[in-house]
Amino acid sequence: MSSERETRLIVISPASDITPDQVTRTIHTMGKSVTVKEACYGAVLEGPRDTVLWVVSEIRKLDPNGIFTKVRAYQAGDPRRCRAHHGTRPGFAQLEQEWNDLWKIQYGLNCADRGDKASERKVREKLPVDIFKKICEVK
Amino acid sequence: MKVFIDPPNSLILFDLVERSGHEPLSSMAAIQEKIDKTEIDMPPMNVTLEDVMKGLKYAGIEVPSGIRGRLAVWGPMIEEAEAAVIMEDCPYSFGCVGCHRTNLMVRYLLKRRKIPILDVNYPNDEEEAKDLVVRMREFLGGLK
Repeated sequence: MSSERETRLIVISPASDITPDQVTRTIHTMGKSVTVKEACYGAVLEGPRDTVLWVVSEIRKLDPNGIFTKVRAYQAGDPRRCRAHHGTRPGFAQLEQEWNDLWKIQYGLNCADRGDKASERKVREKLPVDIFKKICEVK
Repeated sequence: MKVFIDPPNSLILFDLVERSGHEPLSSMAAIQEKIDKTEIDMPPMNVTLEDVMKGLKYAGIEVPSGIRGRLAVWGPMIEEAEAAVIMEDCPYSFGCVGCHRTNLMVRYLLKRRKIPILDVNYPNDEEEAKDLVVRMREFLGGLK
């Protein structure tokens, strides 16, 4: 991973009370040398790696189980990806899907903090041949 | 420890691995290395002939170029990984869409490495999400 620049997506769970505006303003008030851009899902944060990691750890304190982050490969406003420059957004479908699921993960994190145990894992079984034959047979 | 996540672009897996104090190996970081190079060999994405050769290390020439292209980026990460978390039964739009063969190949390469691997199911409801988080915490907490 490059140690020069780090761009992070800060994504807020739909079940969280925090708003993207709150996240952006809190980062601005930290007075660090990072660029922050408010987005519908949270914010895009960019700057030197160490500073960005520090800001992420601080911003998580607003809602430890409701704020999620991941690295973004392209810089904020990169013409290859930025919508303002008519860039393609191939990662947006994935981000939207995961944003929809974040409330479940938030619930899972809360349960794990309480010390709940996992139930037995359901493993998908193979389809029996006779059922498969019934599906294939044309009546 | 370096933990490979599958799907490699997953926000949920990336975040949960990072919360446990490990380094997630994601496709975003691999692509960043490529595009942050000061020398631009092949604009706009810097995909060079070297990448084509890297892909051939993991899949034969008769394999579709999409699989080789993905493996050129993910293959070196799989080699670097010290553990892996694989999410199964994901919906169609989750992860690298449209190439199940690559996913199968990635799982095969990971299993061949004989590193600790955790298989988790995609969470369809809260209880499954709880199982996912608890299982991941136990697995990642046990890695040394």
